[in-house]
Amino acid sequence: MTSLKRSAGSDPLAQNISTKVYVRSTKRGKVQKIVREQYLRTDIPCCSKICERCLKAVPRNAASQPIDFVLSDRPAGSKDYPNGLYLVPDTNALLNGMDLFEQGSAFYDVIILQVVLEEVRNRSLPLYNRLVGLTKSEDKRYYVFFNEFRLETYVKREPKESVNDRNDRAIRRAVKWYNSHLAKCKAKKIPTVVMLTDDKANILKAKKEKVPAFTLHDYVSGLDDANRLLDLIAISEERGAATDKKAGDHLYPEHYTMSKMMTGVKAGVLHQGIYNVSQYNYLEGSIKVPAFPKPLIILGRENINRAVDGDKVVVQVLPQDQWKSPSTKIIEEEAVTKNENADADDGSDFVSEKERKALQEQVKKTQTTAIKGTSQPTAKVVGIIQRNWRQYVGHVDPTSVGQAGKQGRRQEMVFLIPMDKKVPKIRLRTRQVAELLGKRLLVTIDSWDSNSRHPIGHFVRSLGEMESKAAETESLLLEWDVQYRPFPKTVLDCLPSEGHDWRVPQNKEDLGWVNRKDLRDLLICSIDPIGCQDIDDALHARPLDNGNFEVGVHIADVSHFVKANNAMDTEASIRGTTVYLVDKRIDMLPTLLGTDLCSLKPYVERFAFSVVWEMTPDAEVADVKFTKSVIKSREAFSYEQAQLRIDDQSQQDDLTEGMRTLLMLSKMLKQKRMDAGALSLSSPEVKIQMESETSDPIDVKTKQLLDTNSLVEEFMLLANISVAGKIYQAFPQTAVLRRHGAPPRTNFDELSSQLKTKKGIELRCDSSRALAESLDNATDPKEPFFNTLIRIMATRCMMSAEYFCAGTQAYPEFRHYGLASEIYTHFTSPIRRYADLMAHRQLAAAIEYESLVPSQRSRGRLEAITKNLNYRHRNAQMAGRASIAYYVGQALRGRKTPAEEEGFVLKVFSNGFVVLVPKFGVEGLIRLRDLADPEPEPVFDPENFELRCSGSRDVTIALFDKVLVRVMDHKEEATGKRGVRMELVRKI
Amino acid sequence: MATNQQQVLISPAELAYLHASLSLSPEPIRPDGRSSTQFRPLVAETDILPGTNGSARICFADGSEAIVGVKVEVEKTKPKAGAMINPEEGKEEKGDTGVEGGGGFDDDKKNYSNDWVELAVDIPGHRDDDPGTAFLGNMILEALLEDGELVKRLRINSRFHWKMYLDVLLISQPLSYPLPLLSLTTHLALLSTRLPCLISEGDEDPMFDDDWAASTNLYPPRGEKSKLSTSRPPITLLVMSVGHSILFDPTYEELAVADAVLAVSVSEEPTKPVPQDTIATPKQAKDRALRLLSIRSIDPPSRITPPGVPNGLNPATNGEVAGLQPKHAEARTAEVPATEGVWKAPRGGVSRSVLSAMVFKALEKGGVADEVLDGLQGVEMASEILE
Repeated sequence: MTSLKRSAGSDPLAQNISTKVYVRSTKRGKVQKIVREQYLRTDIPCCSKICERCLKAVPRNAASQPIDFVLSDRPAGSKDYPNGLYLVPDTNALLNGMDLFEQGSAFYDVIILQVVLEEVRNRSLPLYNRLVGLTKSEDKRYYVFFNEFRLETYVKREPKESVNDRNDRAIRRAVKWYNSHLAKCKAKKIPTVVMLTDDKANILKAKKEKVPAFTLHDYVSGLDDANRLLDLIAISEERGAATDKKAGDHLYPEHYTMSKMMTGVKAGVLHQGIYNVSQYNYLEGSIKVPAFPKPLIILGRENINRAVDGDKVVVQVLPQDQWKSPSTKIIEEEAVTKNENADADDGSDFVSEKERKALQEQVKKTQTTAIKGTSQPTAKVVGIIQRNWRQYVGHVDPTSVGQAGKQGRRQEMVFLIPMDKKVPKIRLRTRQVAELLGKRLLVTIDSWDSNSRHPIGHFVRSLGEMESKAAETESLLLEWDVQYRPFPKTVLDCLPSEGHDWRVPQNKEDLGWVNRKDLRDLLICSIDPIGCQDIDDALHARPLDNGNFEVGVHIADVSHFVKANNAMDTEASIRGTTVYLVDKRIDMLPTLLGTDLCSLKPYVERFAFSVVWEMTPDAEVADVKFTKSVIKSREAFSYEQAQLRIDDQSQQDDLTEGMRTLLMLSKMLKQKRMDAGALSLSSPEVKIQMESETSDPIDVKTKQLLDTNSLVEEFMLLANISVAGKIYQAFPQTAVLRRHGAPPRTNFDELSSQLKTKKGIELRCDSSRALAESLDNATDPKEPFFNTLIRIMATRCMMSAEYFCAGTQAYPEFRHYGLASEIYTHFTSPIRRYADLMAHRQLAAAIEYESLVPSQRSRGRLEAITKNLNYRHRNAQMAGRASIAYYVGQALRGRKTPAEEEGFVLKVFSNGFVVLVPKFGVEGLIRLRDLADPEPEPVFDPENFELRCSGSRDVTIALFDKVLVRVMDHKEEATGKRGVRMELVRKI
Repeated sequence: MATNQQQVLISPAELAYLHASLSLSPEPIRPDGRSSTQFRPLVAETDILPGTNGSARICFADGSEAIVGVKVEVEKTKPKAGAMINPEEGKEEKGDTGVEGGGGFDDDKKNYSNDWVELAVDIPGHRDDDPGTAFLGNMILEALLEDGELVKRLRINSRFHWKMYLDVLLISQPLSYPLPLLSLTTHLALLSTRLPCLISEGDEDPMFDDDWAASTNLYPPRGEKSKLSTSRPPITLLVMSVGHSILFDPTYEELAVADAVLAVSVSEEPTKPVPQDTIATPKQAKDRALRLLSIRSIDPPSRITPPGVPNGLNPATNGEVAGLQPKHAEARTAEVPATEGVWKAPRGGVSRSVLSAMVFKALEKGGVADEVLDGLQGVEMASEILE
């Protein structure tokens, strides 16, 4: 018997065809063998400007133009390579040094091989996206070379060769080819192509094959500013080094394999969710999983098992005898783990004595309370599905810096304390300790091995001196992931070419006038906060002949200027919202639109999108119309001015009368809403007064609410509800709506038991209406602020409202709990919210003004956008609050004598309590050890929410107590954090 | 029932000559000069279809040619009824060819199912529900399942298994009865079959290495470390008898004068799994133990009543029409003496001794089965070297 096999040589085209065979596992569990034919070409250019041959051979586009050749003809060189270098990084070099490649001072003329790009994509999607961003940037001169498709650089895998080795060989082959290819060029100075790698084996092989190569470290060392650049390299174990370590060295339990986790989750043995760290205790976290009504608690370093706040983790529920109640103790990382040595991290005691002690007291107490059934299921993290690591802002812990580091240039391991208390300390290896001390730094976490107590990271860049306004503001924006970079040119190119000179066309034949109503004769005005520049909305009201009123809400027609899917639209959808800080506004849209062309400024004609109702004198809606329009606002009032004008009976002009009508109707609307069960919730809001010249804060004031505030609010709500109904009718699957889920009853458990024991007040939360009523009744005749306090606390029990796409929820789920409306959307602020812009487009399509572009009709895409919007909104809110808190601190700092203010106890722990000072809208933690020295003896009564202290200071603190506190600005020496510090003066 | 139902287009004189020369003893004279146990020369290759998990092609010298492709996919194993009560008792009864000989593996207690293998035969010019085609397919499948080794290899863990689809294609006209061709091609395709490398452990949902080069052989080649026994897929041989001659791999002409035709499926006796650290020594004919999996008798054309012949003209009914009293009752028993030069279809059964001799010859040490198995293994090796 003979065997027959066609030999590859017999086919003349065989050398140009190769196949790629791999196994594809689909999500649904299918496993397929995939065979792809790969055609090897000889016309893929090297893209170097010195190469004439490639320029001739390169395929042309329809206009018979070749692609731009990006690699410079005189790239930067080094001492050994005066002719210049083209860099070819391998996968590890990119994974460990992505921050390096993004530097502006070096790393130009880089060739990214296809094989490397693909490997990066498999290893880390965020890094891949950054790399793609780099290859697209024009000034960095990055070129993606498709080495797998070029005949000369294609490498066939040898039998028994691992994929990694094959890919490394492909990189070396490509570098070799590049060099021999460029050597044939006629240019005088022919640059050398070098491989950059972080892999020792690869560099040895390169040496053997005479391929020019550097380790990343060696290359960077030869550059200017090497010390700073070297810090940017991620710390990674050498390949294969990790296996040397013995199993006994592991401080944390190993994570499960992905397949084991997925099997467990599917079988219901394990649970998957997002890990959240407690605000007050860094050793306690919680995770909400569908299988349990209450979040699972994760206690202690070992159970947390390297999860970081926000990670998607898989947990296993612990046996019932290990269930505990949430801690009643404040444990702060910096206090407990102070004076740890960063270098000796792999040390012996894993759960330090101090931590153990801190947790033990807790265990003691929980054992007594657990009998009463307050214990909650606890769990341990067994694996991490997806890390949610971002870049963190923090500063170097000065106590972790050795003497040598302060002077010399030796590489040293230091701790970085993140601004975000929920994030653990990060070990940082740096050569420039002296420069970094006292600066705000941006760092990333590289890894967290099971044998390392703390995660390890590397330095990205310095934001500047701590406490300098620029550094603090930037760190705040970074912490909350606010996109604050200036708008790129592509976005600005989308603006109207007329710029500020843009006018509503006079000629009614103009395209802009098509299907647009002329409402310029209406007496329209806008009411906004003082100094508002981006005026989204304006109103009018006038009596009709039949005794009804015509009421109009006119919203800036942003969708006229921002067309779907252009660069500006994409940028706005990423930013999601305008972010308001105390002294700064980070716009969603370029200023030209936001504050001029779209803004409904007074005395000029503007395009608008109008909602016009016919309303009966009882504020019932008789009819509603939606139309694109042209308006001319007669006046832009501030809330105060509008209030004065309305109250001033001498003003009898039509505009003022219209405003009075609006006010009258708004009051009725509000009453109706309240009757339906709308909640009036509260959050402490303050306003910072700035000195006009230096914009230094001088005072803090609580915001005043006027009737006119509520006037505008009511009509905006009405407009939103009307629009929501209309777009839902037109697009039942894709309408962008906003919902506010009813809070689960368990959210109110704590508050209602607190109210019951302390004040004897019943809190009912069966419906929003019942809740509204019991909140109205929750008063303390002696203390007018008490009601607001309860409202603030109730607000914190609520779910957060969210944008969603109509098709993803059933109609009853559309309900907005807080507003007691069946359906709701955001329509009225398109200048500062992207969701409103989407609602505008959908409404325009619903009234057949223009058609929707297909991408706005795709549910999957809309879901992705709304998800991002929800995320951005939350962050914008947080950033705003953080900014206020910072400025409150700054305002207090300016005072000579510390302010003594009234405050209320919000929360009682076994070793401290939290006080809210309404005047400044700040909360402060007062620990027992701050009360007196030595620390007074505490007796904590969790049933009655009381903390009785005796010994050095006799005082009993109970929940809702009114106290007098001294509020001052304070900088903690160890952490360098500046914040508000409170001291208890006495109980009131 | 043979597939080639068509009339034998050979004249009675030719048939008589064939019959006479094939019944010669001790050594019959075959038309192509082969010895009685010799196979027709064949050309074989493996891995011809890149998209499959395993494939093979065999061409016989008479021009018939077959291709077999093997595809596998992951499937959830249905829990066996009663498995919840006592999983140890979920043993699959595999009939008399069970595991007595090579038994004693833990695997035998696991719930294998014959549904894990599906086989489809395609013969040009025949519908796929043609009884002959179905019979062919079932004969090949029967051998694979009776062997029991194949389904064992398809187990992933207690919750998942590979479902295997065997597509057996005859791509030429069925010149002779294609069973040996199809069986050998299937054997070869199974030998070349590779499964993606499992990276999950235990009873987890299976996950596989995306590197095809890491895939493992369904039947690991000799000399490779493996947990599984070193068995090979079974083969089905076609054996015929003419008088006292026993002939292997009969051609179309030879089948026309066969007294009896048997399809004999044989496989190697499975051995105990070799310990992981020792390399299995390649087995050769001398130490291979063969075992019989199944025997099917196939009607040769000589025994098939030509279609559309009325009873009155049919020699088998002696020219009588059913329902009528035979006119000459004695005429039925009157044997017409065999006329020299005129072949007469055989009548009556074949003697037991001939049948047992046929089976014995198939299983003989160093006999045809051994020769074929070694030959096919040679193909596998060769293709590996060429790669």
